[in-house]
Amino acid sequence: MEDLLIKIEKRNDVPTTLYFLTPFIAIILTIVGGGIIFYTLGFNPIEALKFYFITPISNLYGFSELLLKATPLCLIAIGLSFCFKSNNWNIGAEGQLTFGAIVGGGVALLFYNQEGFYILPLIIIAGAIGGMIFALIPAILKTYFNTNEILVSLMLVYVSKLILDYLVVGPWSNPEGFNFPETRQFSDSARMPLLFESLRIHAGIFIALAAVLVGWFVLYKTYLGFQIKVSGLSLKTAKYAGFKGKTMILIVFMISGACAGLAGVGEITGPIGQLHRMISPDYGFTAIIVAFLGRLNPFGIIFASLVVSLTYLGAETAQIFLQIPQYTGQVFQGMILFFLLASDYLLFFKIKFLNLKKNELGH
Amino acid sequence: MATDLRISNISKIYPGCIANDNVSLQFKSGKIYALLGENGAGKSTLVKILSGVISPDNGEVFLNEKNLKLSSPLDAKKNKIGMVFQHFNLFETLSVFENLSIDATEDNKSLRVRINEILKKYNFNIDLDVPVLNLSAGQKQKVEIIRCLLRSPKVLIMDEPTSVLTEQETEELFISLKKFCDEGILIIYITHKLKEVLSLCDEVAVMRKGKVVSVSQTQNEKVETLANKMVGQKLAKIKKKINISKNKDEIFKVKHLNFYSDDPFETNLVNLNFSVKKGECLGIAGISGNGQNELFQILSGEIITPNTSIIFRNKEIAKLNPKQRREYLMAFSPEDRISQAAVPELKIYENVALNNFKSSNFFEKGLVNEGKIKEHSKKILSDFSVNTDNVELKSQFLSGGNLQKLILGRELITAPELLICYNPTWGLDVGAINYIHETLIKINDQEKSTILISTDTEELLKLSDRIAVIYKGKLSKIMPSDEVTPEKLGILMGGGSID
Repeated sequence: MEDLLIKIEKRNDVPTTLYFLTPFIAIILTIVGGGIIFYTLGFNPIEALKFYFITPISNLYGFSELLLKATPLCLIAIGLSFCFKSNNWNIGAEGQLTFGAIVGGGVALLFYNQEGFYILPLIIIAGAIGGMIFALIPAILKTYFNTNEILVSLMLVYVSKLILDYLVVGPWSNPEGFNFPETRQFSDSARMPLLFESLRIHAGIFIALAAVLVGWFVLYKTYLGFQIKVSGLSLKTAKYAGFKGKTMILIVFMISGACAGLAGVGEITGPIGQLHRMISPDYGFTAIIVAFLGRLNPFGIIFASLVVSLTYLGAETAQIFLQIPQYTGQVFQGMILFFLLASDYLLFFKIKFLNLKKNELGH
Repeated sequence: MATDLRISNISKIYPGCIANDNVSLQFKSGKIYALLGENGAGKSTLVKILSGVISPDNGEVFLNEKNLKLSSPLDAKKNKIGMVFQHFNLFETLSVFENLSIDATEDNKSLRVRINEILKKYNFNIDLDVPVLNLSAGQKQKVEIIRCLLRSPKVLIMDEPTSVLTEQETEELFISLKKFCDEGILIIYITHKLKEVLSLCDEVAVMRKGKVVSVSQTQNEKVETLANKMVGQKLAKIKKKINISKNKDEIFKVKHLNFYSDDPFETNLVNLNFSVKKGECLGIAGISGNGQNELFQILSGEIITPNTSIIFRNKEIAKLNPKQRREYLMAFSPEDRISQAAVPELKIYENVALNNFKSSNFFEKGLVNEGKIKEHSKKILSDFSVNTDNVELKSQFLSGGNLQKLILGRELITAPELLICYNPTWGLDVGAINYIHETLIKINDQEKSTILISTDTEELLKLSDRIAVIYKGKLSKIMPSDEVTPEKLGILMGGGSID
C-alpha cells in the first residue's frame, strides 16, 4: 500500500517577469471560465463573451463609460495599495467613499443655489477630508486599542451607508422631491466639468491620474514609501530599524481614506449630481481586486482598473442582450480574484507529491 | 514487554554545520534517559529524526531490533513513538476533547471513556469541555501527554518540557513521568537543565557539537561534572588581551532594568544593573531562553520598559527608540539576521538604508537618495569583504556569513561608540566566525565598547573582558574573564552557584 503525501514548499526566488505576467494569466483563465459558464447556461460562449468584453467598448460612448467607471476604481486602489503594502488590511474603502461623498455632498448642498469657481474645489477637499476621517477610525482603534482593522473597517461600511440613508430620506431630502430618497440637484458650479459634449467622462479622471503619479513617487522615491515597504515585508525589521509604526499606520489609512473620499466626490459631482442611496456599485470593495490585480503597483493599477471596469460594462450589456442578471459582473470580478490568488499560490509555492511506502511495522 | 530503542550511527549535515555526527545511543524501558546539551548541540535534530520530522543522511533507528523507516511524523506515531514538543500543537479555540478527537480512530463515546480512564489513573485534573485557551501551560502539556498516551506509546520523548512550567507543575510532571516509566514506557527527556537531570533521570547522555561526548549513570554525576561535559574544556585558541582598567570611564550604564511579560514563552527580567567601560567587551552568557531576547530588545530600544534608567555617554536614553539611539552612536546586531536584521526580499542597498542615521543623508527631505545609499553600500561590501560587489542583489542570495558581514558593516560604518550584538556567529562557518571575531576585537582596540550576548561560551571567553551570566532573567555578578573558567560558566548557566 502506498500513502500519497503532498508537500508544499515555498519557492525561493520568483522571477519578476512571471510575477507581473500572472495577472494576465488570471484574466485569460477568467475569460475561459466565463465562457464555460455561458456555455452551461445555454449560450454560445464566443458570442456571449463578445457581448461581454467587446460590444461595450466598440463605440466612443462605451469607451468613455469604461474610463468613467475605471476612474473611482483606480483612485481607490491607489489608496489601498498604501495600506496593503504595509500590511494594513483596510477593506472598508466603500465606507470611506460613502462618508467622503456625504461630507462633500453636504458642502455641495450648502451652495445648492449659488455659483462660483471656489465651490467645486471646496467640495473636493471636503470629500477627501471626510474619507480621511472615516479611515482614521479603524486606524486609531488599531494603533491604540489593538482592534482588528479588517473587522472595524468592514463594519463601518454599513454605518456610513445607514448615515447616508438617513440623510437622504430625512434632513437632506429634496423638499420638492415628492419624498423620493434623494437630495436636491447640485448647482452647476458643484459639478465636475465634462471633458466632451454628450459623453459622461469628467475631470475626475485627472485626479485619478495625478493619484497614480503621486502614489508612484511616494511609494518608490520617498522615505515614507521605504518605511511602508519594509513594514510590509517584516514588522520585526521595521521595529528594529526604529520606524514609528503607529504614525505610519495612521498615515496609510489617511491616504487610503482620502483617495476613497475623492472617488466618492467624483461620483456625486460627476455622473450623479446629487446624493441618493445608490452612489456606488461597490466600487470600494471591487477596488480591492483592482489593487491586487495591479500588483499594488500604481501603473499596474491603471491597467487593472480598466479590466475590472469592463466587467461592470459587460454585465450591463449582457443584461440587455442576453437577459442575464447584471450580477454576473460580480461573478467575473470574483473569478478574476480567484484565479489571481490561485496562480499566485502556484507562483510562490511548489507542490511536491511524494510516494511513501507504508511501514511494515505499522500494525 | 520491554522496549529497546537503539540509534545507530546517525548523521545529519546541514550546509555549514554538522548537526549530528555519527550518533549512537541505546535506551531500554524502565529507565528515564536524559539527553543533555547546550543549544545547537544537536539534541533537537536527533529528536526530530526520532519523531520522523526530518530524515537522517546516514544511520538507522531500531525498535526492538526492527529497523524503523521514519520518513514522516505519521511513521513515528505508528511505531508508538510519542513526542511532546516544547511548543504545543493544540487548537486554542477547540475544547480539550475536540483537540484529542482530531486524530483519533475510534468513536467519540469510547474515546471519552478511555480519556477519563487516563485522567483518573494519573490523577490529571482537566475539564475536557473547556477550550484549550483557558488552560494553564501545565494543563496544555498534560493534554499533549494524554494525546500520546491514547496511542499506548512504547517511547515517550519530552522536549524541554519544563521551560514554560511553574515549579509546582514541574513537580507534578516529574511524578507522572516516573509513573509512566514504572509502567514500562521508555522516556527520553531532552533538557539543558542540569538539576532536572539529577533529580529525575537514571542515565544521561551529553551531546556537544553534534557528538555524544558521554553516557553515564546520573548517580555518579554532579552539577559540576555534567556542566563540564556539556560546555567542554576546550579553550579558545586566539584569546584577546584582557583589557580591564579601573579608571576608565563608564560609557553605558543600566539601572533597575525590569521587564514583565504576559507571554509564557517570554522571560521576565528582574532588576538588572550593569555598566560598560570605554573600550571594553562585556560578555553576557547564558543558555538561550533565559531572557537574552528580551534584554537585547530593551537595550536596542525595541521594547521600552518603565522606570529603567539607561545612561549612554552621560545622556538618559531609556525612552528612545532604536533609530534615536543610533543617533547617539549605538549600533545593534540582533540574533535573527534573516528576518530581523535584514529583509531577504530587499536588495543589499535597501537593507543598508535600514540604518538611516542623520549624517548619512540617505533620505534628504524625505526623498530617497539612491546614489548615496548605493555608494555607501559599495563601501561596506568592500570594507567588510562581503563576497559580492553588486548592491542590487537581493540579500536572500547572500550566505549566512556574508549577510552577517553586511549587517555588521552596516552597523559599524557609523563608527559607533557601543555595539550590542546577540549571537553574532550563530550558524556560521569557521572562516566567517574568525572574521567576525577579529572585527569585534578590533572595535575594542579602537577604544569602542561592545556588549556581546552569546550562548557560545567559547566565543565569550575569547572576546570578553568581563562576563556575567543570565539565568531565568537574573544576572549573576560580573566577573573579570581571566577569573572565569568554562566550568564556572556552566554551573552558573545551569542555575547553580559558585563561591
